[in-house]
Amino acid sequence: MIIPKEVKQKPLEYLTLFFSLIIGFCGYLFVDSSQAKRWIIYSIGIIYFCWSLYHHYKRGDLQLSIVVEYLIIILLGIVFISGTLF
Amino acid sequence: MLKKLWTHYFIPQERNNYRASILKPNFLLLLLVAYLLNQSAIKTLTIAKPGILGYSSEITAQKVFDQTNIERQKDELSPLIYSETLSKSAKAKAQDMFANDYWSHNSPQGKTPWTFFDAVGYKYSVAGENLAKDFPDTDSLMKAWMASPTHKANIVHTRYQEIGIAVVNGTIGGIKTTLVVQHFGTPLGASITSKNTIPQPSEEVVQSSNILGKTNQPLISPLTLSKIFGSVIFIGLAIVLFVDGFVTVKKNVHRFTGSTVGHISFLIFIFLLMLYNQQGSIF
Repeated sequence: MIIPKEVKQKPLEYLTLFFSLIIGFCGYLFVDSSQAKRWIIYSIGIIYFCWSLYHHYKRGDLQLSIVVEYLIIILLGIVFISGTLF
Repeated sequence: MLKKLWTHYFIPQERNNYRASILKPNFLLLLLVAYLLNQSAIKTLTIAKPGILGYSSEITAQKVFDQTNIERQKDELSPLIYSETLSKSAKAKAQDMFANDYWSHNSPQGKTPWTFFDAVGYKYSVAGENLAKDFPDTDSLMKAWMASPTHKANIVHTRYQEIGIAVVNGTIGGIKTTLVVQHFGTPLGASITSKNTIPQPSEEVVQSSNILGKTNQPLISPLTLSKIFGSVIFIGLAIVLFVDGFVTVKKNVHRFTGSTVGHISFLIFIFLLMLYNQQGSIF
């Protein structure tokens, strides 16, 4: 199995991210109401954003353009999944 | 020329500072705007041309009735008897929702589920209502109801003796759909019986009841439209990110950009949620 270099360098950070996403996915499958599903998506978006800030701060390359990139990716994901939620 | 443009947008190279242009914030923002425009177009279509978009359904009252009693039998409860009167109240409720364009137990005019029971002259000691719309088949509908504690409570309620079901096609919010209404009740004065003491319902009664059948006209589901457009964007982004990660690792390029692995993980998460999202809504 090929493990990307950036994951090998910071395994704990990436494990935290993967664990959060998996927990979020399981929670999404478990809850019943659309409202709860939306909150899980928002929470995962916030967690991913916080993770990105920490990740790039530790790497020493926390820049506005990177923050904007994460914000747009997260926004795209939230808007997309909210649009398909009944 | 075209190849140059293509590689500039999708392949990391020296000319685009080793970052595919489509992954840069301004292009990502453009994708976001494109998706929002697509959603607005769907919404506009439902207002300008109501009835073009909608959900096809194969649900029948017979199937809903059968599966409701199967669920009750699993809990060793007596099966419900099909009531023509309750079916009339369920049909009236569905027609009222279509006529007044709402999706709720209570109408904007203040009508409650009990208004419909009273209107058909059904005197009850205990009664309840389950609603559903946009489901493609009875299995997914029953699964959603049984997954919801409040709807399940109605289906496996020990005190209900009768059920009426209406499966009605119409348009709500400019979108064609099939509404399913279950009305449960026990006639006033009837003795509350417990397990397995009520006789089996007559098949003839069920078949001659208000079964409006399925939607025959092929419809374009707004949910499918959103999913297709979103999937194209997300799969495209994931592929470009994979290529981006591969090329930069191969060429050992260091850039000031977001984490490719992080982005791919997040996109896969969103994509999996989208795949899991089922059609249909219960109330």
